[in-house]
Amino acid sequence: MLRYYFSLALRSFRRSRVLTALMVLAIALGIGSSMTTLTVFHVLSGDPLPGKSDKLYYPQLDAESMVGYVPGQEPQNQLTRFDAEALLAAGRADRQALLTAGRVAVEPQSAEPAPFHADTRYTSADFFPMFDVPFRFGQGWSGVEDERRARVVVISEALNDRLFGGENSVGRTLRLDQIDFRIVGVLDHWRPHVRFYDLTAIDRFGGAEEIFLPFSTSRDLGLSRSGSITCWDSTGTDPTGLNAPCVWMQFWVQLDSPRKAHEYRTFLENYSEEQRAAGRFERPTNVRLRNLTEWLDHNRVVPSDVRLQTWLAFGFLAVCLLNTIGLLLAKFMRRSGEIGVRRALGAARRTIFFQFIVEAGVVGVAGGLLGLGLALLGLWTVRQQPASYAQLAEIDGLMLATTLVLALAASLLAGVLPAWRACQVTPAIQLKSQ
Amino acid sequence: MDFVPIMSTLKRHKTAAALIALEIALSCAIVANAVFVIRERLDRMSQPSGIVVTELIQIELEGIGRAGSEPSTRDEDMAALRAIPGVRSVAATNQVPYGMSSWNTSVNLEPDQMQPILNGASFYGSEDLLETLGLRLVSGRGLEPDEYQQYEALVERGAEGAVPSVVITASMAGRLFPDGDAVGRTVYVWSDQPTRIVGVVEHLQRPGDYFGPSDREYSMLLPVTAPMEYGDRYVLRVDPERREEILAGAVDALLEIEPDRIVSEESTTTIEQLREEFFQQDRAMAWLLVAVCVALLAVTAAGIVGLASFWVQQRSRQIGVRRAVGATRGQILRYFQTENFLLATIGIVLGMALAYAINALLMERYELARLPWQFLPIGAVTVWLLGQLAVLGPALRASAVPPAVATRSV
Amino acid sequence: MLHMQNISKVYRTELVETHALRNFDIHVREGEFLAVTGPSGSGKTTFLNIAGLLEEITSGTYRLDGEEVQSLNDNQRSRLRNEKIGFIFQGFNLIPDLNLFDNVDVPLRYRRMPAAERRRRIETALERVGLASRMRHYPAELSGGQQQRAAIARALAGEPRLLLADEPTGNLDSQMAREVLELLEDINAQGATIVMVTHDQELAARAQRNVHIVDGQPSDLELGPVPLVRPAAELRQV
Repeated sequence: MLRYYFSLALRSFRRSRVLTALMVLAIALGIGSSMTTLTVFHVLSGDPLPGKSDKLYYPQLDAESMVGYVPGQEPQNQLTRFDAEALLAAGRADRQALLTAGRVAVEPQSAEPAPFHADTRYTSADFFPMFDVPFRFGQGWSGVEDERRARVVVISEALNDRLFGGENSVGRTLRLDQIDFRIVGVLDHWRPHVRFYDLTAIDRFGGAEEIFLPFSTSRDLGLSRSGSITCWDSTGTDPTGLNAPCVWMQFWVQLDSPRKAHEYRTFLENYSEEQRAAGRFERPTNVRLRNLTEWLDHNRVVPSDVRLQTWLAFGFLAVCLLNTIGLLLAKFMRRSGEIGVRRALGAARRTIFFQFIVEAGVVGVAGGLLGLGLALLGLWTVRQQPASYAQLAEIDGLMLATTLVLALAASLLAGVLPAWRACQVTPAIQLKSQ
Repeated sequence: MDFVPIMSTLKRHKTAAALIALEIALSCAIVANAVFVIRERLDRMSQPSGIVVTELIQIELEGIGRAGSEPSTRDEDMAALRAIPGVRSVAATNQVPYGMSSWNTSVNLEPDQMQPILNGASFYGSEDLLETLGLRLVSGRGLEPDEYQQYEALVERGAEGAVPSVVITASMAGRLFPDGDAVGRTVYVWSDQPTRIVGVVEHLQRPGDYFGPSDREYSMLLPVTAPMEYGDRYVLRVDPERREEILAGAVDALLEIEPDRIVSEESTTTIEQLREEFFQQDRAMAWLLVAVCVALLAVTAAGIVGLASFWVQQRSRQIGVRRAVGATRGQILRYFQTENFLLATIGIVLGMALAYAINALLMERYELARLPWQFLPIGAVTVWLLGQLAVLGPALRASAVPPAVATRSV
Repeated sequence: MLHMQNISKVYRTELVETHALRNFDIHVREGEFLAVTGPSGSGKTTFLNIAGLLEEITSGTYRLDGEEVQSLNDNQRSRLRNEKIGFIFQGFNLIPDLNLFDNVDVPLRYRRMPAAERRRRIETALERVGLASRMRHYPAELSGGQQQRAAIARALAGEPRLLLADEPTGNLDSQMAREVLELLEDINAQGATIVMVTHDQELAARAQRNVHIVDGQPSDLELGPVPLVRPAAELRQV
């Protein structure tokens, strides 16, 4: 029976080509635009560490002076160096790492390429296992090397390709800011869509850094830092000093159970109280402990323009669907004479309904396929955009399936009302022309 | 044309009429908001920066193993840059408008103030900065060479360190001293030592993009050198025609003085280029919205054409009868035009309500301003025109139905 | 075959109630060729609609082939229409988008019938009305008489027990009308019950039995003998 309906649908399309083309085009435009924006949204809002994002937590402490104090206000989004080092030393979580951004000059041993600056991450040993960072050669450094301020470095796949032609460079020397470092690890391809571990940067979607080295070493050598820094008292000396009233460190902990998370929060509160008692903290205890998912959400990782575009595209899809409903209704009711005769000849209401819903579905599938093409075109256009997240706009299997399901669901939905109206036509023995 | 017979016909085609009205309403609402967002983006792009955008280039370098150069090297650098033909003025700075890195500090009217009045961008650099950027002084004077202190030395002095003078923007002056002239008044911008406002410039946009529109021009120039920690940054005011050529020559000249430096490629460019990149996202968004509006209106027009064609076909016999009993072509034409006008009006009324609802949602979520009422008549006229244009084809076909149709059997 | 007892049909609108049929009784035997006549508005078409299960009755009893139909739901009524009843209309009512083959196919499609069986029946039916060579033509390409014969073929393909005809010759000239009538008589001769509504007295006179409806009330008219069977060869002269 389904085949019969299909052949009837095709016949009907042949009869009114323009109207059919219009409907297919409207659905395709709606689907194409909404799938383009939805894909971008999906890519940007995706979980950077599936399976682990509810175990990683980002502690916040309120270390500021009373200047500008508002009770209950969100604490600073970074920690002071003092607090980050203290929490690291306390080691109360399953894993913990402090991190901050920096920039070092890379001097290749050969003449080519010329010296260049590379974005660097100063961090501690647990960074690599905690964030499931993949290694191609070697491994990260250990806590011992953190303590010894060892001159060790982990480099990205891209930097290894650039400097060592992709060979295993573990054990070789890399000269950074005129100081020799020993390469202990080379990362495999690692491109988290969002630099989730440091959301303070202007560009959150630019990918991970090229160089990773111990934070302790970076302080020992006075390597230059970069990224956001906020100080509440300018009368200090070096804002990166251990006791400087400045926040510029991120700190992450891995807590494998909710109970541990609860305990860690208590620990943070106690720590904050201690610091207050010692006179370091002035404000009442005000800690936060969000997991990765909550932290991404809190920081509104998906740019507001992308969100706006997604809403816009779905509004557009709604208009396209309304349009399709109207046109289908017109198309079906134009055939009410035929419907009446079919009913008289023994077609049940249900049969008529299915005949027309199949017709709507075929329009939907055609629109969906065309829409998929438009979405691919749309994503290609997005990738030509300057924003750093744009290059991530690739469709995956899930979105591919979603596109087709959305198109079919949308057109079936659009077909329900017209098909229902069509099957309400009474059996008639006259093909009425009016 | 009387509306009564049209209304009763529409009532008999309730569903189709409601669908088309709803479609008009939705696209009307979306278009009104989209146009509003477009205008907001265009406004943002057309706001004054205060600087002579087309005459400026920026050069940024970082030393290997130590970021910035010693003051003596910087003096040498600037002398060399001034010697390049086509260069009108040179200054060191820590930041430029449309750049992404920014230095900000809180501004107070009292020492030890618990709630700062505002947060402003602090421009450090060298004495020619005001002139090089092309800022327009509206009162007072600029910063004098002998007022300048080295940043590092000032930090070293801790709480004793004091900055005697500052030049602020008119925008900041208005916020700090709404009642009158700011020149000669005292503010606290460096530790707890007072600083005297010596001049007010008309405009100076702050770098970065993190502050709301009201804070956009909270900027000030302090007589402090650019911190060494972040490398050397120079801004050159040059002959606009020769920007590219000067850019290349300037980099060579600087590397000749001190070769152990790395030129930052993305920051060493014309300010116009920086401005271009700064607004790229806004421009892309505006074009996208334009495209969506056009597509929306096209789809809506197609819907009107489709439905009107169907109605014309469905009523061709009725039209024939009307023609037979004496209706003119013009009357048939106007019948369909009036019908469309009515539908569009219903759609517009609904659409305007919907537009405000969407706007309220956007205001809440995306910090959009309230939709000004002026957008309503623009939207209404657009939709009316669109509807009339779309219905014209089917209506003309209707008016061409011959009266003989009435007598044709079945 | 068709038993109606005490049937009433009332059309209600917001303003008025119209009694189309009132206490209507009629019994049609298996194999009868019944002509129904009557002035405009007398209820002829309503009677035919009810007989064909196109409309429901307001009250009364209607048994079709021994089955009470007023208690049936829409699906059951559709099936009954499909399997037991054939329709022939004044306006032919062929679906313009479909060629003759596909038009005749329509009622068969709503049965679970293998494709080969459908094809056989369609070809036989078209053969019988003399349109076998035209099965790929569209209705618009045929004359009125050919269209009506195609419509009859559609009715015959389902092998209905009851054939309902509404002014089957109303849109045809007399030559074509005669051909169509002869075809109906032939079908009747092979066992199908035929109920034909017409206002043409001459046509009605050729039926076995005549019923006249006035104001929703039927009455039988006495008729003389009529020649019923024609040689089949005569039918195919087109």
